[in-house]
Amino acid sequence: MVRTMDGISYYDLRHVTGEVTHIDIDNGVVESAGTSFFNKAVLRVLVKSGWGILQLDNYTPCTGTKFEDLLQKAARLAMVTEEKVVLGDAPRGILPVPPLKEDPRDVDIEEKSRLLSLVEQSAAGDGIVNRRANYIEKDEHVRFSDSSGNEYEYRMMRSGFNVLAVASRNGNVQMGYEREHTIHGFNLRHQEDVGRKAAGVAVSLLDAVIPKGGKMQAVLDPELAGVFAHEAVGHASEGDLIHEGNSVLGGRIGERIGNDYLTIIDDPTLPEFGFDPVDAEGVAVERTEIIRKGIISSYLHTRESLAAVGNGKPGHARAMAGEPPLVRMSNTFIEAGDSTEEEIFAECKNGIFLKGSRGGQVDPGRGVFQFNAEYGYLVENGECTTMVRDVSLSGDILTTLHKIALCGNKRTMSPGYCGKGGQSVPVSDGGPFILLCDAVVGGSGVD
Amino acid sequence: MRWWVAVAWIDELLAEAAKSVDEAEVFFVEGESVSADLKRKNVSLATTSRDCGLGIRTIHKGRIGSSSTSNPADWRTCLHAAIASTKLATPQTWEGLPGPADLSMTPLAFDPAITVEPSTARELLARMLAGATEHEAEVTAGSAGLSTTRVLLANTHGVRYTDQHTGVTVSLEAIRGQSTGYEFDHAWALDRIDPEHVGERATFFASESSKGKDIPTGEYDIVLSPLAYADLLGNTYIPALNGRSVHAGRSRFASSLGQPVACEGISMYDDPLLPGANGSTRWDAEGTPTRRIDFIENGILRAFAYDLKTAYRYGKQSTGSASRGGYGGLPGIGHHNFVIDGRRSTLDDERVLYINNIVGAHTANPMSGEFSVELSNAFFMEGGQFQEPVRSAMLSGNAFDLHHTIAGLGNDTRTVGSLILPSVKIKSQRVIGK
Repeated sequence: MVRTMDGISYYDLRHVTGEVTHIDIDNGVVESAGTSFFNKAVLRVLVKSGWGILQLDNYTPCTGTKFEDLLQKAARLAMVTEEKVVLGDAPRGILPVPPLKEDPRDVDIEEKSRLLSLVEQSAAGDGIVNRRANYIEKDEHVRFSDSSGNEYEYRMMRSGFNVLAVASRNGNVQMGYEREHTIHGFNLRHQEDVGRKAAGVAVSLLDAVIPKGGKMQAVLDPELAGVFAHEAVGHASEGDLIHEGNSVLGGRIGERIGNDYLTIIDDPTLPEFGFDPVDAEGVAVERTEIIRKGIISSYLHTRESLAAVGNGKPGHARAMAGEPPLVRMSNTFIEAGDSTEEEIFAECKNGIFLKGSRGGQVDPGRGVFQFNAEYGYLVENGECTTMVRDVSLSGDILTTLHKIALCGNKRTMSPGYCGKGGQSVPVSDGGPFILLCDAVVGGSGVD
Repeated sequence: MRWWVAVAWIDELLAEAAKSVDEAEVFFVEGESVSADLKRKNVSLATTSRDCGLGIRTIHKGRIGSSSTSNPADWRTCLHAAIASTKLATPQTWEGLPGPADLSMTPLAFDPAITVEPSTARELLARMLAGATEHEAEVTAGSAGLSTTRVLLANTHGVRYTDQHTGVTVSLEAIRGQSTGYEFDHAWALDRIDPEHVGERATFFASESSKGKDIPTGEYDIVLSPLAYADLLGNTYIPALNGRSVHAGRSRFASSLGQPVACEGISMYDDPLLPGANGSTRWDAEGTPTRRIDFIENGILRAFAYDLKTAYRYGKQSTGSASRGGYGGLPGIGHHNFVIDGRRSTLDDERVLYINNIVGAHTANPMSGEFSVELSNAFFMEGGQFQEPVRSAMLSGNAFDLHHTIAGLGNDTRTVGSLILPSVKIKSQRVIGK
């Protein structure tokens, strides 16, 4: 029998246990509420070539021959690989997890349910036919260790709520949807305004018009500016995609892609919803300037993509519990500039103002992205006029960034989740108000 | 029957539950999967996954509680959490979990020939790569995976159902210049997928679209491939058939029963017993025997989908439509094999804009059906020939309204996820050029 450790050049183990508590209230009815448990681990082994990876449900920490059996099992998997994986050197260290202002675990579930129900009730009103509110709380205990002797352990609590209001009139069905998620602790108290806002948007949208698509000047609110940074720049700067030859940003370090005042950052150290104390392969996290003053400066990396591609920073490996790490964004944003909101609308003059996000998607190889706004307003002579709904924006990564004409002077972040390779991780996106010239706006409206 | 012995704790769990609640149900899943991934043309990683977990529902005086865990040995903690959760839920009209029906336990979507081995995954990758050589484009990434899953559903009324599923998936991504192509295939049996074809299509689309030109904004007659059509339907039209959304006022179809919601000749149904289909099953996620549901017959809306909870609440019958997203998911309303059918014909006798894929379908408005998405691998097409590729454009419309302007269903049929559908031709849709 081959000795287990023979040929194994590296391994790491990431074990995540925890609990998820949820409450779902639909039109005054508590549909479900309760707690579930999870225990997942992922063991990665490098032999002479590529990765052998074991994903284990219900892992019990073990040592000695039991652990060696697991290593050997993973090593056998690696035998079918051919790509020579090299791991780049990366700084180590762990940041403290920001303290919780109020620990959700100290609030009993009956109280959470009562508070959520207040939010749900506050979305009631004339024209509203349905309200739904969800609370979700995930307590994760993460333990990382590798064959180089690095060990990290931390606990993260993410919690928050969504509220949906549906308005209907003569077969016209519209919705308002608000999300508030945080790493800073229990956030369900005194949130009735959030429910009222969802209801207000849903009812207003009954009278909104669908704009006629075409090229126009567009003002994006901070939430949408963040989605823009995430879809148009963030994904295309991910080192694994660069390595595969599947990003238009590949080979373009040092090239100008936007104006001098455009800086786009991914920063996992920021205490926002995408915060990571240490990345999923035990590497210290670091602020990374993807675009600095209009120039492509850094890719986002894991140790593997750092060694293969270079030109960037590691510390961007992230993973769901039990899943292998991938290059991922964390808190991605456009840096604030120096324009006021008034200046931005005045400069836009005639065009469209887009607010809120229903998500987006990008094909990084083709360099084409799309994202959708929840609603917006026509801008006429620098003033917001008619409300519009169901508007999307699409563009080419390499040309669109040059068309950011103004950046506002105040940045705001919004929490969300980002999907890639079947894994969903918490992120935040943000930016200031921005003015985009010649934006390609999709809408099925007619004159 | 070795497996029954291994899960003897389930009877113990149900007996324990019966001491404090009216009814209880356990959904237990155990499986293995293996996958191998390509980085360009080389296999860069191989993964195996051992999945296991259980979901418990307890019902007491109309209050439904739930919990789940990935540790079967710790079922007691999970059961207590479910019972505690029962106390929080609002009581509702509830007429009981189903009792045992005389159903065959022979699996409908299980291929004993599937070996969950990395070498099989690697062979599938090699076959895709062989197909990919037919066109001039670089492979960027790809994946092949195999899985086998055992499922068990048991309740305090004596239901003890088991099922087994297998799955095989392959996908490949390619690029030529700044033009990308993607293709995939999935099935429950190894001989029901065509890896060479997947490889060939991925490089074909990357290569063919590389000569793309911009087009002017205007109205075009379009053909959506089964892939693009499925993406659009899955985010708008199909969720509107969910009985819970209908009764909650979240569906555009809320007052459309008996009304035309699609062109004459269009039918949509769920057939859980369709031979050879991926989602075939004799019982749904809460043990209700499955049956065919005709949602849309000849363009007229005839039915909605129900699980037990929604059916009891609104005085309907469960349609056997309960499904779960894994052991941890509560049963919700879904479908098994959702089929779109009608009279078939060639769609490109006259010049049409053929759209193979769309970017951003998930951003469609699920309530109103409005969407505006970016096109991906679009071409003008006539007489079965791809003509000029389109570089980039947006398609805007309404997923509900466009079903009233369907000009025909194609002769092709493809399985995309749990949908089985042809390509569809739609007249005069708004396309925004660059």
